[in-house]
Amino acid sequence: MLRSYARCGILALAGWLIAASALAESTPDETKSSQSSNHRFSAVLESEAAYGMARDRANKMEMMVEPQWEYRWGDETRITGIARLYTEGFDHLEPGRLSQGEVAPNSRRLQLGDRTDVELREFYLRTRLWGMHLTLGKQQVVWGKADGLKLLDVVNPQNFREFILDNFDDSRIPLWTFNAELPVGGGNLQVLWIPDRTYHRLPQAGGTFAFSSPLVVPQAPPGVGVNLRPLERPNNIVMDSDIGMRFSKFWHGWDLTVNYLYHFADFPVFFQSVLLAPGGATVTVNPRYERNHLIGGSFSNAFGNLTMRGEAIYNTDQFVLTMNRRDGDGVIKSGEIAYVLGLDWSGIQDTLLSVQLFQSWLLHPADGMVRDALDTTSTVLLRRHFLNETLETEVLWLQSVNQGDGLVRPKISYELRDNLKIWTGFDLFYGDRNGLFGQFDQNDRLVIGIELGL
Amino acid sequence: MRSHMQNLFMALFLLSPLAVSDVAAESLLAGEEIARRINARNEGEVVSRFITMAMTDRSGTERVRETKSLRKYFGKEKRTIIFYLSPSNIKDTAFLTYDYPEADRDDDQWLYLPAARKVRRISASDRGDYFLGTDFTYEDIRKETKVGIEDYSWKTLGEETIDGHRCFVVEEIPVNEKTAQELGYSKVQSWIDAEIWMVRQAKYWDVAGNPLKTLQVREIKLLQDIWTAHQLSVENHKTGHKTVFTFKNVTYGQSVKDEMFTEDALRRGY
Repeated sequence: MLRSYARCGILALAGWLIAASALAESTPDETKSSQSSNHRFSAVLESEAAYGMARDRANKMEMMVEPQWEYRWGDETRITGIARLYTEGFDHLEPGRLSQGEVAPNSRRLQLGDRTDVELREFYLRTRLWGMHLTLGKQQVVWGKADGLKLLDVVNPQNFREFILDNFDDSRIPLWTFNAELPVGGGNLQVLWIPDRTYHRLPQAGGTFAFSSPLVVPQAPPGVGVNLRPLERPNNIVMDSDIGMRFSKFWHGWDLTVNYLYHFADFPVFFQSVLLAPGGATVTVNPRYERNHLIGGSFSNAFGNLTMRGEAIYNTDQFVLTMNRRDGDGVIKSGEIAYVLGLDWSGIQDTLLSVQLFQSWLLHPADGMVRDALDTTSTVLLRRHFLNETLETEVLWLQSVNQGDGLVRPKISYELRDNLKIWTGFDLFYGDRNGLFGQFDQNDRLVIGIELGL
Repeated sequence: MRSHMQNLFMALFLLSPLAVSDVAAESLLAGEEIARRINARNEGEVVSRFITMAMTDRSGTERVRETKSLRKYFGKEKRTIIFYLSPSNIKDTAFLTYDYPEADRDDDQWLYLPAARKVRRISASDRGDYFLGTDFTYEDIRKETKVGIEDYSWKTLGEETIDGHRCFVVEEIPVNEKTAQELGYSKVQSWIDAEIWMVRQAKYWDVAGNPLKTLQVREIKLLQDIWTAHQLSVENHKTGHKTVFTFKNVTYGQSVKDEMFTEDALRRGY
């Protein structure tokens, strides 16, 4: 009952933020932009449509209203609330009613039919107390220096309804978090306690970007029945919470961090058991979240017109699917070392060329694993601004070296007015349908969008 | 009475060569000495202000950004942080720079982009790139009303009056081709107030030698015994684009913690 009241309260707050932003829109600009006022209202209205070229059908028509409210007490204390009203006209990305089984009850979206929902995205108090910066409430915590793919940026889970095409700020799922930062040894120590047991939101079967690659979804041999058990999620708010620490320091020109996260990995592990019966074999799949220790660090520095950045991590407990029929549970547990090295070159005015190399190495590989022990992905980003940064063109290319598949994303955006931006681009997948990118080879799409700041 | 007047004229006559030679000496003040005086001008150890950045394109379309800026000296090292407060689509963008006194040491710069929620290290050799859509370069933002002495050879051309203020006219030529390419200028001509040692106007030529932009520094007021420019405007002659920075609520000496000038402060925002 208490949980239900809390959820109602949270959603009422989200509704109030949306209504308040609409009222704020009717107030004079001078009032809204006043820096002396303790209140600040702003809102972003975004709409994006996508046309699936291979399937010759529109596959997305979404609209998002994201109001933000901030109230300040002095220079060091403020409370921030961000809500989101989301509607998707075709219901192809998250078809039907959402189960939200991956999401903790107090973080769930309020569904208004199949196509619309309301969510309290962020709601936190930020203050300074006893020399510490405290951020308490629902928030995003972002670690790492890499673009596009994530090694250290795993504190918050992600909504994969559009695979990795949605921008990370929109797809990252904020969590109720205790976040303390304090100066230590000339650096900054961040301590996180995350009681919110919310994990990656994976698209359901039938969704445009539902996973089908054997790299992430177990495949039953032909003629074998599958019994998918309900998702087992951690249920103790204290014992099953995540904790994290990050120490950052600027040292002789280097931005350095050391990170540690004790967490439930956000992808469920699909444990499998086979039952042989006279009527035929059945595979029972038990999806369950597993604990992991992540130890890692990051660095960046600039040398002339070259910026170097990188991340490295060690995961104690990675689980990889195996096709080995003799394996007891269908998964291999292994330690993992992974790193990303990025170089940004800006030798031409208003132009950025960025290349990254990701490598993941499983320390205890086994026969039949669906992935190679050493997995390599590269990215290239070329971006150029024109007309005082009102016009931006870019091409992002992600390539899996092992699978030979990839994704190319050319995009052009233009700032028509101070608060009005439009864009168009393509998301072009290629490669084998068993690959992480190739599984969406039929999902190439043309995207157009508009963003209005209120 | 007459003899008194004669004596006075005689005295003035005798003194006048000294006075003229004094003016001449000042007129001939070396360009580099003028640059040193600009950089020696007190700009306060700590300053806090709101800056309105208004950008207007050739067609008259205006974009306005409200920002909060803090600057603090750590010895001779200058650190500046700028937080964007509005409009909503770029709100929370933040920029941090460490400007080192050593000529052979690259400055350090970071940019926080709210869409990625990540701080990005920026190459300091991009100093000729335009700062977030304005007509000011990253170098202009770092230096504010100061100058990079070591980047140019300085030559005093003469004297002119700007808005009723006597100014030295100084020509600055980048010391080498590499510096010219980095800064994006082949020549700069500055009008420097001979009393308060602040640039009141500057003209810039691009690396091909074409007129590029003109800077106007206006509303210079004495605040807490520090000469403070309240409006900087730049017009780009090639694009027709114009940027006006208007400074409000400028306060010197306010207590600002050292930790405000860190990468973590960029993330936390203002």
